[in-house]
Amino acid sequence: MVIKMDIVFSDEVKKAIEGKGLKVDDIKKVIEGAEASNDKITNGSKFIAKKVLGDVTVYADYSVGGSITVNSGYAHKMKLQDIVMDTADSEWTYVKNGKKIRKGHTNLSFMGATRSAPSLVDPASGESWLEEYLAAKTIAVAEMLFSQKRA
Amino acid sequence: MRVRGFIMGYEELFPKNDLSGWHANAVKRFASPFVDNFHDRIDVDPIILSNAAVNCGFTIRDFYEKPELGIHCVGYISELYDLLPVTHWFFSLPWVRELGITLEYKDTLPPVPTGPILDANGVENMQPISKQDLLKGSTVPLFYGLYDYVQKNLGHTLVPISYGFDLVGAAAELIGVEEFIMWTFTEPDLAHKLVDSYVATSINGAEAMADKYGFAMLIVGSVLANNDIFADEQVEEFSAKKMGYYVDQCFRRGAGPQVFYHLCGNHETDYKVFKKNLLWSPFNVLHIGYQGPKVFPSDLLKKEFQDVTTCMGSVDTKLMINANPAKVYDQAKESLLAGRDSKKGFILGTSCETPPYTIPGNLLALTRAARDFGTYGTW
Repeated sequence: MVIKMDIVFSDEVKKAIEGKGLKVDDIKKVIEGAEASNDKITNGSKFIAKKVLGDVTVYADYSVGGSITVNSGYAHKMKLQDIVMDTADSEWTYVKNGKKIRKGHTNLSFMGATRSAPSLVDPASGESWLEEYLAAKTIAVAEMLFSQKRA
Repeated sequence: MRVRGFIMGYEELFPKNDLSGWHANAVKRFASPFVDNFHDRIDVDPIILSNAAVNCGFTIRDFYEKPELGIHCVGYISELYDLLPVTHWFFSLPWVRELGITLEYKDTLPPVPTGPILDANGVENMQPISKQDLLKGSTVPLFYGLYDYVQKNLGHTLVPISYGFDLVGAAAELIGVEEFIMWTFTEPDLAHKLVDSYVATSINGAEAMADKYGFAMLIVGSVLANNDIFADEQVEEFSAKKMGYYVDQCFRRGAGPQVFYHLCGNHETDYKVFKKNLLWSPFNVLHIGYQGPKVFPSDLLKKEFQDVTTCMGSVDTKLMINANPAKVYDQAKESLLAGRDSKKGFILGTSCETPPYTIPGNLLALTRAARDFGTYGTW
């Protein structure tokens, strides 16, 4: 049985999410999907979940107490592909299979090119996640450069 | 600059680049290896620095003492040899002045330190320089001024770059290179503290660059830490791991995503410790200078690293001052044939900065070889 919890966004978080061109409803969809399937990673104090919505991969960073509190939301356009390598343990665990998440690199494809980027990976399932600082900064600039250079 | 009694800006010394012809084509070619949009031929990057000034009639000292003049020489002369459409200007010791070192300009060399400034006690008490203090120092204002000049006069070549450069080598200058090498055996904790302080300062500097320009390409290398001096384990602990940390922290502060990894000197066996320790972004280039006394083979470079980075092959810099362009051409051909089908692209380079007095015929030989053999795979 899935108990549905309230999903709470502070005004500040809501503003930040909308400032990135994302919808609050999209973040809710990511969380609802993750809570129903356990498809999420945790470091013991919070969770990160992802879902492909249209052309972007949307992430929710949230904590669970009496309700679900959203810490942030972010996204990237580059598509996650295969894991290139894993190099060290991280503080994260994949809730779905209980495996320790590793730091590593994952191939990302965008506009016909495939390049790797640092990521969190689960070699057992082949799943990868990008942390917020990478998606919001490094990968966002990379997407802009790809668009310029492919033009 | 005063020429015959008139004050001139450096920009008045140079005709404008051919923007619609040479530069437009070079831009498309430069993008090729990063976005799989193959164009023209494999690019050539002989890491041209003071050679550009010499080629324009100035001196090595001019190049380093007058950064705006130096970078304009690079932008101008790149057209002659059909090189990269972007400019760079640097020397190997950024951030050390803020940490207390005095640099002295020389007629035939990049700026060199006047001597070490710290002892063990000084290193124990050493603190990284904050971003706020770097903004008031010499390196950030130098690069802000330089890129302001490029934006105004060479905007078509602008790529803001932040240099960590040789994290171990620059830190070692603070206590003296020989002393540092000794410390890695006798006082490893202090040696780590020294390098970590330099790394933290460099990260703060990268953030200052990213704050102003929105992003900043990173150039970071392993020069002093190579197999002529250290075993693989030491290269990993003192250099590779700290390079990875530097890039990760720079990414967190908004610098990157472009990274140029420059492994200068002999990386005969230590090349194996870099892949797992470095961060590989969608836009990075890895360059390794030598394997023992020979240039690092492009086939090995490709085999080890092509799944994570664009590879940059090498022609021995010693050949660039040898009166034998055919030898340069032959080594360039060998490198191109071995590396040109690298999965994430290939660039032809020299094993380090091309020497100031590089023979023009040898630079032409590099480009000629790239035109003759620099196709991507069977393309």
